[in-house]
Amino acid sequence: MPSSVVNPAYVNRAYKKPAVAKWKNKFKPLVIFLTMVFLLIMLFPFFVMITMMLRTSQEVYITPPRWIPQAPTLKNFVLVWSQYLLAGYFKSSAIIAIGASALNMLLSIPAAYAIARLRFRGRQVSLYLFLVVQMFSPVVVVIPLFKTFARINLLDSYIGLIVLNAVFAMAFSIWLLSGYFKSIPKEIEEAAFIDGATRFQTVIKVILPISAPGLVTTFIYTFIAAWNEFLFALSFIQNQTKMPLTLGLYRFVGRWSSQWELLTTAAFLAIIPVLVLFYAIQQRLVGGLTGGAVKG
Amino acid sequence: MAERALFAKTRFQAKESRLAYLLLLPSVACILGFMVYPLISVGLMSIFRTNRLGWLQKFAGLENYYSVMGDKEFWQITGRSILWTTLAVLSKTIFGMVIALLLNVKYFGRKIARMLFIAPWASSVPISVLLWSWVYHPQFGLLNHTLKMTGITNNPPVWLGYPLSGFIAAIWVDIWIGIPFMALVFLAGMQAIPEDLYESADMDGVNAFQKFYYITLPSIRRILQISTLLSALWTFNDFNSIYILTAGGPVNMTDILITSIYKNAFVYARFDKAAVMAIITFIILTILSSIYARHYFREEN
Repeated sequence: MPSSVVNPAYVNRAYKKPAVAKWKNKFKPLVIFLTMVFLLIMLFPFFVMITMMLRTSQEVYITPPRWIPQAPTLKNFVLVWSQYLLAGYFKSSAIIAIGASALNMLLSIPAAYAIARLRFRGRQVSLYLFLVVQMFSPVVVVIPLFKTFARINLLDSYIGLIVLNAVFAMAFSIWLLSGYFKSIPKEIEEAAFIDGATRFQTVIKVILPISAPGLVTTFIYTFIAAWNEFLFALSFIQNQTKMPLTLGLYRFVGRWSSQWELLTTAAFLAIIPVLVLFYAIQQRLVGGLTGGAVKG
Repeated sequence: MAERALFAKTRFQAKESRLAYLLLLPSVACILGFMVYPLISVGLMSIFRTNRLGWLQKFAGLENYYSVMGDKEFWQITGRSILWTTLAVLSKTIFGMVIALLLNVKYFGRKIARMLFIAPWASSVPISVLLWSWVYHPQFGLLNHTLKMTGITNNPPVWLGYPLSGFIAAIWVDIWIGIPFMALVFLAGMQAIPEDLYESADMDGVNAFQKFYYITLPSIRRILQISTLLSALWTFNDFNSIYILTAGGPVNMTDILITSIYKNAFVYARFDKAAVMAIITFIILTILSSIYARHYFREEN
């Protein structure tokens, strides 16, 4: 647009804009105040966790309770390892989560590639299937799985939980990964074909390296899901030494009394790894769950 | 020549299809083995009489269904499931919307606020619920202490001790877990709305509420549909909040279908009853997820 032509709308906007800014500034304190209030509510149990893990057991059981510990201490971080089988729970959670993520990758990379890149009859149906399966409720099938696992000696074993966690995260992983594979320009692949690479070589040397962020997201997603899983662990694991963190901590809580200064410390330690991983992938997760509706 | 090219093309396509099926085989086999087969197994269990170990005894036809549906408690639990899902999804949507609107205003520290708001979603759900069970503790818990201190109420309830307060306590935890996802998705939707729309609305002297109703809401309608459906599925499926907090108690008065299935099977050893409820739950969830899938594909195309 030549600068000599003045669009009346622009004049108007230039005139109105300060008013808008003023309106927004007037409300900013209110917005910040409300944000603070909501944050206090949303972080409430974490505040409780932090204040509890920093005190001695005498200070946990006092009436009325206190928000600020009088003699803050870090000794729970030492005690918790000896009073709990915490190291064992961590080990179980790590084995299950890493195992499930690895198995999940093995299962979902080929499937995602097929859906993203190959033409075949039933492609649309399989897409639909994976989307619906993503919502499959573990509770619905936990009973026959328990019976089967009991028969083939998979109760109290890591393998059972690894397989289940992998399978129940698989649909979403395929969904996420196929999105990544689709976004890679076909030309790159074709160039590799022309250079005489086989399809397999192309996938290994070209597709997978390019979609590394997607692979990492998928791996972390499964890792988090398996780390946080509770129902299958509750149903299949009786042996203390095989319990993952979620179950171990749950079992530790007697209904009304237990050592909460230690439990909150253990909870803090158990949450840290998933918290870090989750923040690393959250943006991509939102995009994957809502499809085109939100760009992650 | 053309014929040969066509032939080559179909042959290539056949090869491609075969490869695709081969690649899909492991994942589809897993779905068959760990979801479909057990589902059929539950279906069978629901039409047989079972013993205390869950083994099929005698064909019962629809008898188990009649007996479950003739039970008043089943309808109470189903009703509670629906109430649970409706109330929680509604609350998550409203809270999520308010928080998204707050986060959509530019101010210093907004990024940090956004990070902090996600914490309940990022944290491990079963462990968060355990923390809440301590927060709710009638004597030493800091919730009741805070309620008294701030003068909100002098007589806070023994949260997990009674059906109604237990239900409220559990549903709040479910809502609390679900809010961040909603807020984040709504926020992403709001940030995609062109600024011009609001500016021209300002010129027309439109107030904040009207702007929300006529610009923001219609712009994020699709997102609203998809996220509430997804949230409904998760909420209906939420086992942890209730089981860890109240275990459905006192006397099954806070059970929803999901926890009731688990308890009937693993606590009361009533496998036929559990199977019937599992099949009913499966049907409800399938309907919900089909609606979700339809919406999702409408987005894609």
